[in-house]
Amino acid sequence: MGGESFSYANEAFAFVERLDHLTSPSAILDAMEVSLSRFGFQNFIVAGLPGPRERVDQVVLLKKWPPGWFDLYISEDFVRDDPIIRRCRNSVQPFAWIEAPFDREKEPRCLEVMNRASDFGMTHGFCLPIHGINGYEACISMSGTDLDLTAKTKPALHLMSVYAFERIRAQMSPERQSAGKPLTAREREMLAWAAAGKSAADTGDILGITERTVTAHIVSACHKLEATNKTQAVARALQYRLLNI
Amino acid sequence: MTLVHVVTSRNRTQYKEQMSQYFRIRHEIFVEERGWEQLRRADGVERDQYDNAQAIYLLALDNGRVVGGQRLYPTLLPHMMSDVFANLATRGVPRSESIFECTRYFVVKERRTGRTDCRLLAAMQEYCLSAGITDITAVVEMWWMPRWHQIGFKVRPLGLPAVIENEPCMAAQIAISRESLEQVRRVGGLRGPSLLQEKRHPANERMPHVAA
Repeated sequence: MGGESFSYANEAFAFVERLDHLTSPSAILDAMEVSLSRFGFQNFIVAGLPGPRERVDQVVLLKKWPPGWFDLYISEDFVRDDPIIRRCRNSVQPFAWIEAPFDREKEPRCLEVMNRASDFGMTHGFCLPIHGINGYEACISMSGTDLDLTAKTKPALHLMSVYAFERIRAQMSPERQSAGKPLTAREREMLAWAAAGKSAADTGDILGITERTVTAHIVSACHKLEATNKTQAVARALQYRLLNI
Repeated sequence: MTLVHVVTSRNRTQYKEQMSQYFRIRHEIFVEERGWEQLRRADGVERDQYDNAQAIYLLALDNGRVVGGQRLYPTLLPHMMSDVFANLATRGVPRSESIFECTRYFVVKERRTGRTDCRLLAAMQEYCLSAGITDITAVVEMWWMPRWHQIGFKVRPLGLPAVIENEPCMAAQIAISRESLEQVRRVGGLRGPSLLQEKRHPANERMPHVAA
């Protein structure tokens, strides 16, 4: 192992250990700013992946983005066409922004997102998708103008991203409202039976629990999915890939 | 109801059928599904040098059927991290009588959307708490890290991620704690223990009465 990559490793381990002692989002933001700038990154965002009816600003946990860019991103609803977000939904591996594919001819909106980002000095970047338990999806994405993004630095950035995300999630998630909370295993089980055409009474018989209990789980799932009824809850759960049938 | 059973050299004879199922499933998952070709065997049974009398198996069983498993092994003996993956643990391979290595973790395909993962990992915490094991080491795919974090596991990186079998992996050390156990139970919606509580042997129970 060369001396250079060794120092990347030490930077990453030191960052991970520093995070343990940070208890406020602003302290975490500062630590990320310092450590990531050593790899050439100036901007970063940590956010959940928004559902179809959610706006980006509702799922952002922490960000250091050029102010004009965030406003434009929201007003243009770029999140629907952002190739980085699309790749996040379909991958568990970190990637450089140029590795997020789109068709320049057939997908002009994707091109538009990347071009406008470039206007703000965000041409190249690095992104880590997060796929948790109970369908939780998020990402940490960072960019800058002169990146040190090589086979040697990527593992260090990967590790730092994983721990930065965790620290932020742990700091900021407990306050989240019940909407957007992950479904419990039991709620998903009820929706799976509903998706298979079973009534609450049928499901109760199958699982040996009362119809009331089944309904209570379904109601809770509806609330979390912001669905008005069971049918919509099943549709949403399938859409968010919380169920596979 | 799925519960996790502890199988050791002491009680292995009671789990003959499950253990042969277990080694076949390991071949299906690690060779057929994940493509670890050097483990391929003509008889479809995956075993290695660490499947010996020192190994402790935590098997998730549902009506006698194996739906998940993991293997714990003492780090004071030559083990996978010290023998094969020492290069991943650049900060040193942790070795102590209270540290065990976890390998061959799996959940069968049809149980991967349910809570079997949480149950197996809760069982790991429960077993280690009861057996005086303070830490678990493992080489793990990086995509597992957010999941471990989400269920409250405290994980120390032992080195940077490196690609193994096309997947970025990392050597890691998990601290065993009651808080982690409580969090994994919360996330998984698990009420009681996930580990089968050891039944007292009927003969032992009767003994005092007989003697009296």
